[in-house]
Amino acid sequence: MDHRVDRFVLPAGAVATLATLLVVFYLPVGSVLASAITAGSRLTVDPLLTVLGDPFYTGAAHSLFVDPLGVSGGIGRWLGAGLPPVGFGLFGFTAYQALLSTVASVVVGLPGAYLLARFEFPGRRFLRSVTILPFVMPSIMVAVGFLAMFGRTGLFNDLLGLVGLGPVELTFTLEIVIMAHAFYNAPLVTRLVTAAWESVDGRRVETARTLGASPLRAFRDVIVPQLLPALGTAAVLTFVFTFMSFPIVLALGGLQLATVEVWLFDRVQNLDITEAATLGAIETALSLGLIYLYLRFEAMKLQSGGESRGLARERLVDGWRSLADPRRLGLLAYGAVVLVLFVGPLASLVIESVTTPGGQFTTEYYGFLLSQQSGSATGTVRPAQAVSNSLLFGVGALALALPMGLVVSLVATRERRGSRLAEALLTAPLAVSGIVLGLGMLQTLVFGTEILGHRLTVTGPVAIVAAHAVAGYPFVTRNVTPALGAIDDRLVDAARSLGASRARTLIDVQLPLIGAALVAGAAFAFAISIGEFDSTVLLAEGVDSATMPVALERYTGNRSLGPNLGPATAMGTLLLAVTTVSFVVIDRVGGRWEQ
Amino acid sequence: MERRRFLTRTGAGLAGLTALAGCTGDGTTTESDGTDSSDSTASDTDTETNSSSTTSEGTTTDEGTTTGSVAELSGTLNVATYTSFTGEDTAGNWLKSAFESEHPEVTVEFETPENGVNRYIQRQSQGASIDADVFVGLNTGELVRVDEQLDDALFASASGQVAGSDSVKSSLQFDPDGRAIPYDTGYISLVYDEGEVEEPATFDSLLEPGYENALITENAQQSDPGRAFLLWTIHNKGADGYLDYWTDLIDNGTQVLSDWSTAYQAYTDEEAPMVVSYSTDQVYYHGEGVDMSRHQVGFLNDQGYANPEGMAQFAGTENADLARAFMSFMLTEEAQAEIAVRNVQFPAVEGVESGGDFGEYALEPPEPVTFSYDELSGNVGGWIDEWARQVASS
Repeated sequence: MDHRVDRFVLPAGAVATLATLLVVFYLPVGSVLASAITAGSRLTVDPLLTVLGDPFYTGAAHSLFVDPLGVSGGIGRWLGAGLPPVGFGLFGFTAYQALLSTVASVVVGLPGAYLLARFEFPGRRFLRSVTILPFVMPSIMVAVGFLAMFGRTGLFNDLLGLVGLGPVELTFTLEIVIMAHAFYNAPLVTRLVTAAWESVDGRRVETARTLGASPLRAFRDVIVPQLLPALGTAAVLTFVFTFMSFPIVLALGGLQLATVEVWLFDRVQNLDITEAATLGAIETALSLGLIYLYLRFEAMKLQSGGESRGLARERLVDGWRSLADPRRLGLLAYGAVVLVLFVGPLASLVIESVTTPGGQFTTEYYGFLLSQQSGSATGTVRPAQAVSNSLLFGVGALALALPMGLVVSLVATRERRGSRLAEALLTAPLAVSGIVLGLGMLQTLVFGTEILGHRLTVTGPVAIVAAHAVAGYPFVTRNVTPALGAIDDRLVDAARSLGASRARTLIDVQLPLIGAALVAGAAFAFAISIGEFDSTVLLAEGVDSATMPVALERYTGNRSLGPNLGPATAMGTLLLAVTTVSFVVIDRVGGRWEQ
Repeated sequence: MERRRFLTRTGAGLAGLTALAGCTGDGTTTESDGTDSSDSTASDTDTETNSSSTTSEGTTTDEGTTTGSVAELSGTLNVATYTSFTGEDTAGNWLKSAFESEHPEVTVEFETPENGVNRYIQRQSQGASIDADVFVGLNTGELVRVDEQLDDALFASASGQVAGSDSVKSSLQFDPDGRAIPYDTGYISLVYDEGEVEEPATFDSLLEPGYENALITENAQQSDPGRAFLLWTIHNKGADGYLDYWTDLIDNGTQVLSDWSTAYQAYTDEEAPMVVSYSTDQVYYHGEGVDMSRHQVGFLNDQGYANPEGMAQFAGTENADLARAFMSFMLTEEAQAEIAVRNVQFPAVEGVESGGDFGEYALEPPEPVTFSYDELSGNVGGWIDEWARQVASS
């Protein structure tokens, strides 16, 4: 029986994963990106050259594509002119802000991982559960929260005023955009690195220490190498995500800080599909290239360890004297940063949901939610239904994304030629612009594809769950692959030589060892599903499939209480509450077989 | 360069049009003014004598009366529109119940694709079927895009076939081929805080130091009011002068945010004392305890940019009669007044007075301006693109 499982289940899982990917991802995306390199039925590089050769898009680099022979002369003239600053156009600026955002996210995220992985304090598990809350927040809500927190008359300036500082002008600057990007992505760093840190083999550290290594040395030589894959993953993903950032940039920074994605969206709006596809193809090529390079690096660095026993946590507060410890003082300061950067905007959002534009207390926005709930008009999105749809799709997506991600991880950790490339391609859902995917889904799934004279359409709840799972499973893979790779091969070999089938080995030996990574991956998959907007509205058939972000977007456009975002902030608060509870439940349920 | 012919409505023109409208049998205007409150309920349709609709109030009984085709209407009408037109307390919902109670055999369904009219352009160009019969919420720029993208007609011409369409204000008519019929309009203006800045009187005044870092507008690539404001500046500065004007505007600290919601939110949070918005702002803000000083409407150069919304019948519909009856219904005086209030836009039909807060607090610009279809056609894409590139590169 077990051997039949061996022979069929894993290959069948791989085939099912690929088939799902093909229908809800590769086919739609391919249908769009094809227009970047084809004209009629022949291949062409003209659209690519047009974009790359346009100084607006690539700045000084455009000559590479327009006049390659003149490049050396141009560099000579530049040197001769005393190295004046050069711009690299929209792509250059987009990469620049993504790089800054990545650095900021790592700087803000890493201490969080240190705190969560190494210290014990009341509320630690809760904090870990809700780390990735920012992930699900619609950008309009983050904009509202950030304006209320960091605006000219915001809470932050009030706080600065109390200590005799400020005021600072942050709105419409690159700084606030980068802060918002850190708000979204530092949790990614924290969560991924925490999962890795929690599975560091404690005995190795002890061994190093008994061999005379200082704590710092043991940290550098033993712990850091085991954290690098998670940190690298988080940094690469942050760069890719912030490179493709769109609504938040224009909401807080303005058009002067536009990214490539802004233009991609505009081209789609104007139905200039060729240029949209070309921009999307370049973005995807850059992102996938980066992911591939990173995966090669990770494969080189990945070292297998023994059975991880974890490191014992220190108590955060251990008597009065512990508070003088520089590490703890640092963490205290970090706590203040977290309060300002994360709790600040979220709390501001909640406050906005009970405040009129004039500053008085009100419950009418929640009253609005109730009236929508009891509304009978067609086209009314009911909050309770949106909540239950979100949870249903979230659980479905999680149930689908976990096995998909696990299958891909198992494939990825086999050392075969091309398995890096395969993994990079299978991670593509992270590297493709949501706008491109949306357009592709419209063209292929919603409008239907002609097969044998029938027009087949793929829409409705099942399609939504599949799309969410495809968007979420790479997070499972990215969490699980490093953990799986770190399992000592000898353990697996021993189990196999004792007669355990591959499936049994997976279930009894490998899965328990990667529990923390699986739970982290599951939380991400769920978060992605809850926060997903683009494909949900496309694949939903009417308001019956509306989710919380869709409801929120609808309430944004509702003027029955005047031109303010009050009703949307009430929905945003509901979204926040529902997601918080969900994350805690996922962590508690997952935690049962984590140890 | 050829001097552009701009569509403006002068005082004399207005008087002339009103007189004309009077001739077309709209004589009940004053009467309905007097019965505004009762007029707003769906069942009370008796005051209708508009040329557009039949006099079949009797349709509340089972059988239609003698007026033939209209009374016999039946079936399902699919109306494609934007999301905020539908749902509880919206114009769309009112239209549905009112139209259905007038025609008991008819059901009105809405579809609200996220990408609006683009959805139908794309369906048509890919040979996918279009189930909708009428599109509601089409503006001039979108109609230009429809025609630039498609060779085959997406919408059918309705001229002469939709009762009441000749009573639509001529200054709002934007489709030379008579497919899109305007049913309401907004006027883009500035909203400002008179405690912070003086009334912005002209486009040139926005460049003065007094208005440094004072204005928030929206991205013309993705936002209707943002686009309207950009077109308004082109209207005043010309196609060869607007980019220079915008260089100065940006230098003076004007911010271009994504869309109306975020821009207005930033204004509410006092990030700047002026925002590009609608001249209906005070409809929401008036009365006891409201600080009106933050809701002053500024008509630059005494103008406001009209952004008429139109409706059009899909060329491929099998329900053409029903579609045209619905379009006529939207032009009736009663529906016009309701749409105005519920959609917070001005009626498109000449002589309709909307009552209540809307009638009192919605401000009309002394001189409404807008670009016609012919002026936008072939130009609007380039205008916006050059502008956006310039702002993004600054």
